[in-house]
Amino acid sequence: MPLSGLQGKRALVTGAASGIGHAIVSRLQAENVETVGSDIHDANGVIVADLTDADDVEKLAGKVGAIDFLINVAGGPVAPTRTDTLPDLPKGSLPFEDVSEEDWGRVIAANLTTAFLVCREFAPKMKARKFGRIVNFTSIAARRGSSRVGVHYAAAKGGIIGLTKTLALELGPHNVTVNAVAPGYIKTPRIAEASWGHDSPEAERAFIESLPLRRAGKPDDIAGVVAMLCSDAGGYVSGATIDVNGGWYFGP
Amino acid sequence: MNRVAIVTGGAKPDSIGCAVVKGLRREGCEVVVADLYEAGFAALHDCLCVKTDVADPAAVEKMVLKTIQTHGRIDVLVNAVGGSWGITQQDLVASPPRGFRGLTNCELSDWRTILGANLDSAFYCARAAAPHLKKQGGAIVNVASVAARKGIPPGSEGSSGPYAVAKGGIMAMTRQLALELGEFGVRVNCVAPGVVASGRFNRVSQISKKDHGPEGHLGTIPMGRVGTVAECAALIVALCTDDTSYMTGVIVDLNGASYAA
Repeated sequence: MPLSGLQGKRALVTGAASGIGHAIVSRLQAENVETVGSDIHDANGVIVADLTDADDVEKLAGKVGAIDFLINVAGGPVAPTRTDTLPDLPKGSLPFEDVSEEDWGRVIAANLTTAFLVCREFAPKMKARKFGRIVNFTSIAARRGSSRVGVHYAAAKGGIIGLTKTLALELGPHNVTVNAVAPGYIKTPRIAEASWGHDSPEAERAFIESLPLRRAGKPDDIAGVVAMLCSDAGGYVSGATIDVNGGWYFGP
Repeated sequence: MNRVAIVTGGAKPDSIGCAVVKGLRREGCEVVVADLYEAGFAALHDCLCVKTDVADPAAVEKMVLKTIQTHGRIDVLVNAVGGSWGITQQDLVASPPRGFRGLTNCELSDWRTILGANLDSAFYCARAAAPHLKKQGGAIVNVASVAARKGIPPGSEGSSGPYAVAKGGIMAMTRQLALELGEFGVRVNCVAPGVVASGRFNRVSQISKKDHGPEGHLGTIPMGRVGTVAECAALIVALCTDDTSYMTGVIVDLNGASYAA
């Protein structure tokens, strides 16, 4: 059964060139949602934009037009730049003393400022149309903390939760819902390549065996939850953070 | 082979459970409805309706046995039965007693009835269905309440302290079952509704127009409206499908942004 409430709607997915964002685009298109992707990295037909730059965000909005669903996936533990648009992910852990002030600023900008600027650009139009669904991306790094991905990433993703709850209060009267998705270990090709967060295949296997569902997540696992939140099933859900992590962490 | 779902508390036409029954039918599931409310069975002619007091473990065992005899398997269990004032066999459509029964002023019989209907029932059903769910994997969805998140203000007409406690138990049970059943591919999740315009809520609001149960006035709900049975059921159904294949142990709040966990 297709999910109800999706057909004929329009969506923007940021961070859509690869991984989770790309899977969300495919899923929404399969539900007959007219879906546009943006990314700083040029792949899979996205509109190229640097969402840390308010001018780029405004230009993107001009190209995209009115949307019903805004899915803010853009971000990551290593901030891309206009010249290095899909940076390698580091292996191993990143102690907080090793995070430079420059990296702190860049990672906060890539994960938190982007979501703020994009919401600020699109929310007024959603309010005017009296309908909208915004889905932001936080992370298990914000939910339970993480010694691996870096304090800047965890802090930025924690900021996403505060942003989400505040926008839910402000936009609720206008029939715009705002929620966050908190993925756990989602094994995208890029993360698999970096053997992300695990020192060895044995350590990764042991970690996966410790998860209640005994497997790593797939981008489609996240895309299904995003589709659910945009559908009628998400109509009364707002201000929530949805943990999608195979039982790794249960939330507050 | 169609998937087989058990829904408790699915017989009353204006209930969340009944909307879940219809949603699971649309998903192609065979649905077993376990409820005391026989008057609703005729309208559910495409389901196996089993008169069951889910607060009675022996009755639950019999209902699960009948499910297996009829359909041979169980893939989904939705524990939708419950209520803030306790429904007994004597009066299945009882209106709530006047006033608020807090933990410090309720009768012990209130405590037992409300805990039995809301918490024991889900435990008995999960326990009885688990051996069958484990065979091929599946999903359990429990129904908690915003009452467990923030408590119920004393004075709330139609509600009770034991209800908040029972629903808190449902949240803890969701997580415990998720740990115990995860390795068998059985996901266990929970919804925590705010005010939903079910028949039960409508009966409460008829008694007290100014007091809308645990939420207080509508003005405290940022979305400015109560939830619908349909959207609550759609969320429960989604938690039974592959859309949520990597979610387990999760409590999904749906309350119009009135409380963010």
